[in-house]
Amino acid sequence: MMDLSEPTMDYSNLRRQITFMKKSFFDQGYLDEQFNQLEELQDESSPNFVEEVVALFLKDSPRLLSNIEQTIGKYPQDFYRLDSLVHQLKGSGSSIGAVRMKNECSVFKAHCNDRNLEGCRRSLQKMKREHATLKQKLESYFQLLRQVGPREHAVNSRK
Amino acid sequence: MAPPEEAGGGDQFPVGMKVLVVDDDQTCLAVLKRMLVQCRYDATTCSQATRALAMLRENRGAFDVIISDVHMPDMNGFRLLELVGLEMDLPVIMMSADSRTDLVMKGIKHGACDYLIKPVRMEELKNIWQHVVRKKFGGSKEHEHSGSLDDTDRNRLTNNDNEYASSANDGAEDSWKSQKKKRDKEEDDSELESGDPSNNSKKPRVVWSVELHQQFVNAVNHLGIDKAVPKKILELMNVPGLTRENVASHLQKFRLYLKRIAQHHAGMANPYSVPASSAQVASLGGLDFQALAASGQIPPQALAALQDELLGRPTNSLVLPGRDQSSLRLAAVKGNKPHGEQIAFGQPIYKVQNNSYAALPQNSSAVGRMPSFSAWPNNKLGMSDSMSALGHVNNSQNSNMVLHELQQQPDTMLSGTLHTLDVKPSGIVMPSQSLNTFPASEGLSPNQNSLIIPSQSSGFLTGIPPSMKPELVLPTSQSSNSLLGGIDLINQASTSQPFISSHGGNLPGLMNRNSNVMPSQGISSFQTGNTPYLVNQNSMGMGSKPPGVLKTESTDSLNQNYAYANHMDSGLLSSQSKNAQFGFLQSPNDITGGWSSLQNMDGYRNTVGPSQPVSSSSSFQSSNAALGKLPDQGRGKNLGFVGKGTCIPNRFAVDEIESPTNSLSHSIGSSGDIPDMFGFSGQM
Repeated sequence: MMDLSEPTMDYSNLRRQITFMKKSFFDQGYLDEQFNQLEELQDESSPNFVEEVVALFLKDSPRLLSNIEQTIGKYPQDFYRLDSLVHQLKGSGSSIGAVRMKNECSVFKAHCNDRNLEGCRRSLQKMKREHATLKQKLESYFQLLRQVGPREHAVNSRK
Repeated sequence: MAPPEEAGGGDQFPVGMKVLVVDDDQTCLAVLKRMLVQCRYDATTCSQATRALAMLRENRGAFDVIISDVHMPDMNGFRLLELVGLEMDLPVIMMSADSRTDLVMKGIKHGACDYLIKPVRMEELKNIWQHVVRKKFGGSKEHEHSGSLDDTDRNRLTNNDNEYASSANDGAEDSWKSQKKKRDKEEDDSELESGDPSNNSKKPRVVWSVELHQQFVNAVNHLGIDKAVPKKILELMNVPGLTRENVASHLQKFRLYLKRIAQHHAGMANPYSVPASSAQVASLGGLDFQALAASGQIPPQALAALQDELLGRPTNSLVLPGRDQSSLRLAAVKGNKPHGEQIAFGQPIYKVQNNSYAALPQNSSAVGRMPSFSAWPNNKLGMSDSMSALGHVNNSQNSNMVLHELQQQPDTMLSGTLHTLDVKPSGIVMPSQSLNTFPASEGLSPNQNSLIIPSQSSGFLTGIPPSMKPELVLPTSQSSNSLLGGIDLINQASTSQPFISSHGGNLPGLMNRNSNVMPSQGISSFQTGNTPYLVNQNSMGMGSKPPGVLKTESTDSLNQNYAYANHMDSGLLSSQSKNAQFGFLQSPNDITGGWSSLQNMDGYRNTVGPSQPVSSSSSFQSSNAALGKLPDQGRGKNLGFVGKGTCIPNRFAVDEIESPTNSLSHSIGSSGDIPDMFGFSGQM
């Protein structure tokens, strides 16, 4: 119906964009193998699994980050609690393959261990930036995916 | 799809295996759940550990395996691990984003079947069914081969090692290696190479009902801790269809259970002032635990410490000053009830650790139940006591938890452990693994007799005349060392650390242990005389000498056990006329003094730590050895006195303990007031 060629072309373009985008995520080190694992878990029974999980992460992590920020601001410093919060973030991030965030969390934890407040502050800023970047990238990614998704079905069913 | 248990090897297995995932992180939960579903498991997620625990308690059979995060806000993952292991004997897999080896080690020690590093991969999850199977068949396999608990324990240890080895955990590589070493070592020791837990034919699960358990406990009591070998127990029980393996497995669990309880109590790190309610102890078969319990002066800390030791908790193990940790634990656990309420006789007196883990909370409850072997079923009865006792013990959070746990499920404890028994070779409730892993308490694992019950403390019992022995149902935790020093004591080779070792010379291991009871002086003497084990194991609260300062190491454990025992004894003793074999602190006061610091308690609750204030009561300690005389299963089962007095049936008159080595016994005897928990004093 309508102009099959257009949707198909758009679809191909989109697919290409998506593929390229994803590759860049990996190349630039934002995501790691875990992300692939998540994508493999996606299937008919759970078609939006990856997006859902990422959404969960993006929903929870800001809260964690703000908790961390609050804790850093407290005096006397509670490095133990800070470490605990960062640990949570680390686990969370690693679950979706957010490797940069995960690594920064490790650095942060090391600072906590050394009771290095300045180091912690710097790490927090880095993490916030990483988080913002990741969020923006992933959201674009899924937006693209959504565009091809239904089409994909249509295309496939055609064939 | 057939449920995994039933299928056990069927075509459908492991499809449909019921997994419970506990993690406060929603993202991880979502990912894990998806992966598990992909593996065709039946996954349930829960973001709160407390809720998960409640779910499990409500329906133990609802899940086959638990996966839990280490880091959770409402409850420490290790704690959940312990509780589940104790109460339900389900395989628990830990996971964390933290891959540090020491944490992994900790997990293993607490009984985790496996330790996964986040992010968890599908391949790892695909293999988790192995843990379920292993647990199920591990016990039977062990039993088949070995005729004695020792073997079983070893096997279990080996099995556990195998389990560890199987986890392809990156972060755990180091720990795996060390585990492997341990396993190799164990293999050497063990005649069985139980590398393949499923060697044995699948045995139908034995459900250890209250009645059955009571029969079991009676049998153990009758035989005496040191003589309580599966074969004989089986004969005594005379239950058709029950196999020696079932019994052996159950016995191991029982021991572990006691140990745990002791540990827990000890871990409660409550000021010793809270003497374990020996009342619990009294529940032990003939053991006059009451007395013991009464004397259960063992400060909770001691107990906790013991437990910790038993559990092999490396950290914070409070080194109870020469106290028999186990006894202390018991005492502590008991809530210091003067009467053998003390829990668990078999409570391994672990060094009271500040760890929250200390004292498996569950354990304590278990311990409470355990007080006498026979008492398992009594646990309910006893438990209540112990529970209350525990209540006192709430020194630390742990204790609270324990108590809480206990209270919550007195039944579960029993039933839980019981049920699980059939599956786990690991003795009492404690996941065998946890025991096994205790480096220090090597003995423990095999023994699994975490029960502080001085099974190990055969030393204690040594002094006890054969007739008395039966009462002692002290769980001979091979590793009874742990009793002494906490888990380690129990397991540790302290084998038969006689808690009571009143006889100094009698029980090979026991006697020495008791030395702990005596304030340093007695203890040492005690130990030296008897057997290797005893060597200071019992530095029961003896003030200055914490002979065994709860070392978790095997030998030391002996001392440690005693320490507790002593500690407890005093409480027990005093309350009971029986001379608390344990030489437990004759007077609760002593215990308190000593306990506070979680002295290293020997398995027997004698705080073996250096700072055992319990000097006076120490006399008990020596006797504790006698109490704890647990059949030396080969490992230093220092079950020590799990509970004050409970450990050793009255039979073990304190008098017995007065063997030369038991300088402790002296104290015991001298104390005069030492309740003859075991009924030694003249009861025999």
